[in-house]
Amino acid sequence: MGLDAFFAAIPFDQLLIQTVNGIVTGMILALVASGLTLIFGIMDVVNFAHGELFMLGAYVGVLTLAATGNFWVALVCASLLIALLGAVIHLTTLRPLIGRDPLTTILATFGLSLVLQNYALWQFGPVARKIQEPFTGQFAFFYLQYPWYRLVIAGLAAAIIAALWLFLKFGTYGIWIRATTQDRVMAEAMGIPVPWVLTAVFAIGAGMAAASGVLFGPLVGVNHAMGLDWVLRAFIVVVVGGMGNLGGSILAAIFISLLEAYASLFVPPSQAVIVSFVVLILTLLFRPTGLFVPTPK
Amino acid sequence: MTPLLKVEDIHTYYGKSHILHGISLEVGRGEVVGLLGRNGVGKSTTLKAIAGLVHPSAGQIVFDGRPIAGLPAYRLARLGIAYVPEDRRIFPLLTITENLRTGLDRHGVGKARKQELLDKVYAYFPVLAERRNQAGGTLSGGEQQMLAIARAMMLEPQIILLDEPTEGLMPRMVSQIREIIEVLHQEGVAVLLVEQNVPLTLDASERVYLIEKGVVRHHAASAELRADDAVIHQYMGV
Ligand SMILES: Nc1ncnc2c1ncn2[C@@H]1O[C@H](COP(=O)(O)OP(=O)(O)O)[C@@H](O)[C@H]1O
Ligand SMILES: [Mg+2]
Repeated sequence: MGLDAFFAAIPFDQLLIQTVNGIVTGMILALVASGLTLIFGIMDVVNFAHGELFMLGAYVGVLTLAATGNFWVALVCASLLIALLGAVIHLTTLRPLIGRDPLTTILATFGLSLVLQNYALWQFGPVARKIQEPFTGQFAFFYLQYPWYRLVIAGLAAAIIAALWLFLKFGTYGIWIRATTQDRVMAEAMGIPVPWVLTAVFAIGAGMAAASGVLFGPLVGVNHAMGLDWVLRAFIVVVVGGMGNLGGSILAAIFISLLEAYASLFVPPSQAVIVSFVVLILTLLFRPTGLFVPTPK
Repeated sequence: MTPLLKVEDIHTYYGKSHILHGISLEVGRGEVVGLLGRNGVGKSTTLKAIAGLVHPSAGQIVFDGRPIAGLPAYRLARLGIAYVPEDRRIFPLLTITENLRTGLDRHGVGKARKQELLDKVYAYFPVLAERRNQAGGTLSGGEQQMLAIARAMMLEPQIILLDEPTEGLMPRMVSQIREIIEVLHQEGVAVLLVEQNVPLTLDASERVYLIEKGVVRHHAASAELRADDAVIHQYMGV
């Protein structure tokens, strides 16, 4: 096969469509993963219940949307309510475990994820619920009618992440969070109320997961197991991006989503996820501190 | 007059090892007090106990008339106890200004007051002012020590606990630390100074406690020890 034939065989239109798809899911994944990485960075807690916070956020979205008819109200309500739930979870299950073997927190959050998942199944049943997107406009994109809503999700997710970044960079409480992440003991000696900072970070992470759940709900439908798939990929992203490294996680989310999107040109989407695992394994083998982190000297 | 800080017979453990066996000491308002002893006798642990980072299993710590043993460290910092650890513990990824802000952003400190405090330390430590937007981790050892003390001063403390501030510093830096202690003294801030540098400690402080194996063995005015260093020899092995 000559070079010309090779280039002619590449479906550029599909490639572009998959690029846009990859960026859209990448931004949602980045939103889920940044909460997870923030929590990991500050308290060394791997939150196995993160996917269930995502799922419960989506359900709260379903309920408030039904009650108010307004998607944006539902988005804000779900984020705040799940943030509050996150704070309660932290106070009741994680704070008492501070200073214990990290294994105890893994077990606690894993147990919590089972409880929340089965609560949702019991409360809402196995049939997926629908979140109606706030608008249904489409634009012509090659041979597709591409929904505007997808681009709005990507934009909103980016805006939420940017707001988090600005808050961490310039806000007083942002400085408290970064100081606590870097040296918890010294932060406390400087008068920073560390136990409350940890609770607040858990709440912020939970709120971000809930926002992702509501934003993504219209694309997939809401059911009790929807968190599993996302949290798995979010974990991959957090490891590939460098545990606790926010910027790295965001890049990794987009990188992995793009790879999966391109891979699904050639294999069924359910198998495209294999690409993520390959990236995960290669990262663990060759750059265990993260793909986008300079190797420590 | 009641002392600012009174430590009464405190005991601490790390796991099963008994480290402090009943330390008692006092620091008056605005007083500079030295704490001397060989390596590993429990000087740092004493400071950590006062700062609330280690909780004594027995004994009392009274600060400004109230018992404080068992309170979380962040409450103590806000009551006016500032701690400068042996290893400085600068927040490496925060800029110098952000490092200072960790002690500055408290309730009840107005914008003008914050600026005043920042201007004061930057005037006093021009090295820090020049690099205010640089990450703390990029500073040299001596500069990190300056920053650790400046950061503690942001709390407007009544007492600063200084753990071996001159350790590993060049002579020029050592004399600058000596000057800073004098400035703190002039401003009425009490200092509890742990040091290996005996001459500096005797020069800077009014009284000295000598510790051995987790208890205070000797207590004397610095002037007395300057005149007769036999006791120092005994407890410091110099
Ligand atoms: N975190 C810790 N865990 C266990 N033992 C410790 C710890 N910190 C200090 N020690 C032990 O406690 C004793 C006193 O330490 P320290 O207070 O640092 O002494 P100093 O400051 O006088 O050199 C030493 O024997 C040291 O090995
Ligand atoms: Mg020490």
